[in-house]
This record gives sequence, C-alpha cells and structure tokens, in this order.
Amino acid sequence: MEAAVCRSGLSLGALSSPRKVALLANCLLNQNAKVCEGARYRGAVNPVVEALRSRSYLLVQLPCPELAFAGARRWWAVYEQYDTPAYRAHCRRLAQAIAPLIEGYLRHGDEVILIGLDGSPSTGVRFTSSQPNWGGRPNRPEDDWEIVPRPGVWIEELEAELARRGLPPVPATGWALDMGRFDEAGSRRDLEQFLDSREEPGVP
Amino acid sequence: MNGDARGWRMALLPDSLINPSQAVGTALPDVLGVLEANGYGVVQLPPAGQHRLLLAVIADQIAEYSHHGYAVLAVGVRGEPGEGLHWRRLAPLLKHRAVALPPRHILRPDVDAALEAQRLSTRLASFDLPIEEQRRWRV
Repeated sequence: MEAAVCRSGLSLGALSSPRKVALLANCLLNQNAKVCEGARYRGAVNPVVEALRSRSYLLVQLPCPELAFAGARRWWAVYEQYDTPAYRAHCRRLAQAIAPLIEGYLRHGDEVILIGLDGSPSTGVRFTSSQPNWGGRPNRPEDDWEIVPRPGVWIEELEAELARRGLPPVPATGWALDMGRFDEAGSRRDLEQFLDSREEPGVP
Repeated sequence: MNGDARGWRMALLPDSLINPSQAVGTALPDVLGVLEANGYGVVQLPPAGQHRLLLAVIADQIAEYSHHGYAVLAVGVRGEPGEGLHWRRLAPLLKHRAVALPPRHILRPDVDAALEAQRLSTRLASFDLPIEEQRRWRV
C-alpha cells in the first residue's frame, strides 16, 4: 500500500486527483444475470450507465451472488430464503474478492457510491423482498411478497466486510427494478436526484 | 421466458474499456455504446494487478453462463498486458471449470476509433451460439 495511506482513515494525501467511483449491482451492467423473467433490458441498464457516465463516474461491477450460488436457472426467492449461513458465507467470499479494489479507491480519497437493486433479496439497498412463509414448490401467486425497508443479504455482507476493513459506509441507493412494478422514469428521477445531491457543497 | 428482455449475449471487458483514461480513451471506440446498440451485457474484469480471488469469482460466473446457453465474447485491447483480459490467470480458471475459452476480439488503439467501432459492431452482430444451442436453452 502506498505511503500516502493510513489504515484507520482515508488518504493522507492522494497521489492524484480524487475520482468519482460507482459500485454497481452486477445486473445493472448485465441483465443476463437476472432471475428468469426478471430482465427488463437486453444487456446493461442504459439509463443507469448514462446517468453515471455523464457525471464522470468510473464504473465498478460487483459480483452477482445469486448467479454463482443458485445458478442461471434459479427460482425466484425472497430475503428469508437467502438468509442462510451457507449463502452468507458465499456472499462474504465475494465481498472479500471485491473489497481490495474498493478499499484502494477509498484509501486513495476517491468518492465512492453504491447503486444496488431495490427490491432484490440480495442486492436491495433501501428495500428488499420479504415473505417468511415462501418455500417448497414455487407456485405462489403473483405479487405474493412484501417490500420491506432493509438491505438485501449481499449488501449486508458487503457493507460488513468494508466495515471490518475500517472503511467508512459508502453512500448508497437502489435502482428500483425489483419492487414489483417497475417504473423506469421514476427510477431515473430518483437516481439522478441522488447523484445530483452528491454534487451539492458540503455533501461528504 | 415471459416478458424477459435478456439478450443472452455478453462481453468480457477489460476495466480500461469501461473506464478509459483520457489518453487511451481518445484512441478507442465507445465500447459500452457499441455493446448497448447490439444488446450485449458486460462482465467487467479488474484493472491490471493481482486479483486472484476476484478472477476466480468471475470465472465461476462465466462458467455458469457458458453452461446454460449464453454467448460470451472477450474484447481485449492490443498493447495492454494480456490485452487487458488477465488471460494468463483466467484461462486456467475457465479450463478448470470445463469452460471452452471465449473467442477474443482485439481492439487496436492505433487504428481509427470509428473503424474499430464498426469492426466490433460487425463482430457482435454476427456472434452467437449455434442455433441448436440457442433452441435448447432460450425458451
């Protein structure tokens, strides 16, 4: 690690100008990672990419925890079904894989934000999906789950790994793709408001 | 899949093509734009350096895609170490997971960016799995 870095805090003196870095839920760059019937775009979620690139953010794609754990042809699931020791251990392994990259940005003094996927059992930031009695044959009626205000399992484990490394919380929001009824225009306004609020004087 | 928009194709990309530096960015096409126009998703590789665990995680994901009907093309940059693809490390990880190495399309920074964009777009448009593999998985 560079001499300009202290372990307990952020950069003591960056070697170059701070950058703006956006950590992205995996499927925001690749909708092929979505659960079956969950993809709304062919490839990347272009409104998110455009909003970030037009504001000069570097993009960092996070791993998709569900794809490598339950597979490309996994069933839909809610928070409670992924809230298991084995899945959390898997998420911690992914967090340990990507954390050094994030730590490098933070210790360089870069502004790092996180864009998750609200409503997702794994990648939700402000909201996740919940239904304690889901299980067995996946024949539940449509919309038979609730949206609750808490992060998904993956985001919880990623934030815990960053905290273990003595890093500050990363400002975060979610693209509301998994909230039941997707409203692209509303999601875009919400994201742009979050990004523009970061530009206001005094915002850490 | 009802109402599902996925394109079933994706590009494995060096970090430098997603986050180009000023110096390099002026000589290379807007690859994210070309991929968007062709309906490709992105699997991002880390910047140069040691990323042993992260590359293993990425290899797991490519294996899952490759075994379930998705088409993966690697897009590299001539002149970068390993063409930006971490190939020396990634290739054995993929072989260990019984994945055929994705075909590679290498961009040339010394060629006009518009021509390179066109060449990439042509490759992306024609690239996919054999039709029988598509029929097997994409229902």
